[in-house]
Amino acid sequence: MDAISGLAMGFGNALTPINLGWALLGCFLGTAIGVLPGLGPALTIALLLPVTFQVEATGAFILFCGVFYGAMYGGSTTSILLNTPGESGSIITALEGAKMARHGRAGPALVTAAIGSFVAGTVGTLGISFVGPLVVEVALKLGPAEYFSLMLLCFVTVSAVLGGSALRGLTSLGFGLMLGLVGIDLQTGQPRLTFGIPELLDGVNVVLVAVALFAVGETLHLAWRHVEGNQEVRPVGRLWMSAGDWRRSIGPWLRGSFLGFPFGVLPAGGTEMPTMLSYYAERKLVKPEHAGEFGTTGAIEGVAGPEAANNAAAAGVLVPMLTLGLPTSATAAIMLSAFQSYGIQPGPLLFTQQPVLVWTLIASLYIANVMLVVLNLPLVGLWARILKIPTPQLYAGILVFATIGTYGISNSVTDLVLLYGIGIIAMFMRRFDFPTAPVVIGMILGPMAEQALRQALTISQGDWSTFVTRPISLGILLVAVLALSGPRLWGAWRARAAR
Amino acid sequence: MTRFTPGRRQILAGAAALPFLGAAARAQGSQRYSSLNMFIPAAPGGGWDGLGRAIEQVARQAGLVGSMQFENVGGAGGAVGLPRFVAQRRGRPDALMVAGAVMVGATLTNKSPVGIRDVTPIARLTEETLAVVVPANSEIRDIKGLMDALKANPGTVAVGGGSAGGIDHILLGLMIKSLGRNAREASYVAFAGGGPAQAAILGGQVKAGISGYSEFAEQIKAGRMRVLATSGEQRIDPQAPTLKESGIDIVLGNWRGLFAPPGISADARANHIRFATELNALPAWKQLLETRGWENAFLAGEGFDEFLKRDIEATTAVLKEIGLA
Amino acid sequence: MKQPIAPAGTPGADLAVGLFVMLLGALTLYAACAIPDSPLYAQVGAKAVPYLVGVILVLLGGGLSAVALRGGWSRDNEEAMAAPPTNWRALALLGAGLLVQVALIGWLGFVIAATIQYVLVCAAFGSRRPVRDLAIGIAVTLGAYLGFSRLLGVNIGAGVLEGLL
Repeated sequence: MDAISGLAMGFGNALTPINLGWALLGCFLGTAIGVLPGLGPALTIALLLPVTFQVEATGAFILFCGVFYGAMYGGSTTSILLNTPGESGSIITALEGAKMARHGRAGPALVTAAIGSFVAGTVGTLGISFVGPLVVEVALKLGPAEYFSLMLLCFVTVSAVLGGSALRGLTSLGFGLMLGLVGIDLQTGQPRLTFGIPELLDGVNVVLVAVALFAVGETLHLAWRHVEGNQEVRPVGRLWMSAGDWRRSIGPWLRGSFLGFPFGVLPAGGTEMPTMLSYYAERKLVKPEHAGEFGTTGAIEGVAGPEAANNAAAAGVLVPMLTLGLPTSATAAIMLSAFQSYGIQPGPLLFTQQPVLVWTLIASLYIANVMLVVLNLPLVGLWARILKIPTPQLYAGILVFATIGTYGISNSVTDLVLLYGIGIIAMFMRRFDFPTAPVVIGMILGPMAEQALRQALTISQGDWSTFVTRPISLGILLVAVLALSGPRLWGAWRARAAR
Repeated sequence: MTRFTPGRRQILAGAAALPFLGAAARAQGSQRYSSLNMFIPAAPGGGWDGLGRAIEQVARQAGLVGSMQFENVGGAGGAVGLPRFVAQRRGRPDALMVAGAVMVGATLTNKSPVGIRDVTPIARLTEETLAVVVPANSEIRDIKGLMDALKANPGTVAVGGGSAGGIDHILLGLMIKSLGRNAREASYVAFAGGGPAQAAILGGQVKAGISGYSEFAEQIKAGRMRVLATSGEQRIDPQAPTLKESGIDIVLGNWRGLFAPPGISADARANHIRFATELNALPAWKQLLETRGWENAFLAGEGFDEFLKRDIEATTAVLKEIGLA
Repeated sequence: MKQPIAPAGTPGADLAVGLFVMLLGALTLYAACAIPDSPLYAQVGAKAVPYLVGVILVLLGGGLSAVALRGGWSRDNEEAMAAPPTNWRALALLGAGLLVQVALIGWLGFVIAATIQYVLVCAAFGSRRPVRDLAIGIAVTLGAYLGFSRLLGVNIGAGVLEGLL
């Protein structure tokens, strides 16, 4: 069955009142849990798994897809408004988004995130329908050597968030690398930097660290410098995007979408790497007159690009699941076990053996995407009103929500101590002008890079040349070198041409 | 005091427009738990997770359990999740963990402070035969081809599987050992979870892969992987010989079962064992094992204690012999 | 208007930061030494990257200390130089809020611990209406607790109050 007739059949099945109802419920639930820090789509779908005992397969999967896409939409909201990312894919969105909100541009930030999510969701779903099986075959060509090269490429992006001083920026990165080391080593099973604390054996959660650095640290720093009776006034400003905002967002949306989708398809890709790369690209590509907004008042490109990359990657994650039956993310794994509880064995034959289910599921992704943008745009005004809450109640609320996200899922006081302890460090980092974003980047990339390096070296029997003799790996490394030196060479060339 | 009665949960869940959440609990048989915390020391989607969720499906339908919450803490063959289970669920009568042979090996290899001895064994439920596979386009045609390559130089044959020191790793070590070589020479690549490991095998990143047969079954059926041999006493796939048939004297099974936290009362333990026994007696459970292709290996109470003791001893000996412990 | 310069804005404070980073590096190196040797994967073992990160942190800490000894970087940081003086009362109240949460959540449960935290943080930021904050705090935390436990079946720390529900 070709994609067009498959989609036609899928839409025919998905557009029944009952299935539309499941999609709506899923979108609503997904948005709600996306807004809450700590609760991701994987956990929510796992909690909803009992549905599979009551509902026929199509309805259940439409519900799950709504939750999945909805969580991606909702995740950006708290990142922008409260500087409290709900999941790891939204961490980069918080960088510029929270700054925009603080400078009276919360509305445009939320709108560009929502529309960017729609654009990326559409691109991603088109990708699933038409090029999914193709892209996944390419993705399988990438082994640990290529992944390591990809991580090196992503490390280049750190230069976009180093701030005023390379020394302090790199120190932040080093702190992130250190945090990333904590836990049991996959390749040998040895505990590292756990200091005999069992709760540290499974490492430090990156969302916890992001919330500690961004939200808790900021709250503490504000209290440190709080002047009695001096109420901070946070302007809400206009809610909708201006014509200029549109012009500035369209490029990042599309670039983010096309960057994110293939990363999502990669079996060891995920949503974090493309958001970093998108942020780096937008920061480098921004028109000179807006360049000053990055890291200061907040640049809309820095929200539009990463948010689109996040959503497109999330869609891409479904590709290896649907085409090969590979659970490459927590959410995909949960959905696979839902398939199994219907007696469907997901694998390479899923498309041919269950065409009705698969195409209905894909059609419902399009529907969920439209529903979400229709649901979310009117909510922007309501969300932005959160900023009108007086300072004491707002920051107290942020701390309580950070606590729910941390303690609620793990029930671990150790995690709470970590949250507050890293928050205190973040307060001093703020005071001494250390950027916080490199900590998160180091924490995400460090462990992935190390494991990929060691897997690649095991495969190559310790031959380091594997990274340059494998053509794809070499290509990625060349792109990394270009990204690192390109802007400088370009600047030097232009300076010479001007003379 | 922190437990809600099932009826109350149901009403509240229903009032919240999610009527399906509590519906299954209505079939009140002899309910063993109103609410059960199922701890999975592995990421969602793997074998332990699949078993845990299968238990949920059958036990809730039969009314043995009111509701079940899952917690997945993955990594290092369960050595990451186990300490958390021990620390956080100590003494709680409403918590169970799915674990198995992989964890025995992993905790021994890691010399982790918390071992499988620190939890309360309840029952062994299933056993899964391991499969040795290669990508479909591999030049290795059969198990003899693989063994020849391993004999020539184990280092050149990168084999992918689960965490270091786990059962997949042990099987490879035994195979190499049977050739008279040192298992340390193996080129074993540990992947975090079944998804990345299968992707690496499909993409030909590693020469061969070792994991549970059922994880590979769909890929084998679709012709994307070729199974060289299985590790059980009997054939599980008519096409593939067992290692024993191929003249390699190894029988290894990946058993999975239920464990309770330490420090629970004798009553709580008895309740768990009754739960497992009743679950195993359900026709729906037999049916499910058949659909999933899992071998029934039910063993509870004293028998399981004995088995576990022997398994730990045997695994320790094997790991020492192949230089991993 | 000239604000009094915070005592932290001296090169001494910058030096302390440099030394702290070196300490982190030393800690990483110490922990790396404690990782048991594995007979597997001799090329890049479990210890290599921890050693590398430790050395990097020590070097960066050394660099920061060197900058601090030459006058530090904080004097160029206008925001830190112009910042109002340390508000010990606010910091103490907020710190108490964090401590209360850590100390009480396992014992009294999420709702009570988080409500106390909420009131203390509001007070830290100058709220003068503790009773209203208490009411809001209970409403917010109870709502969150019920939302999680009843809708999703996630237990976010049941204690004394939750047991009565």
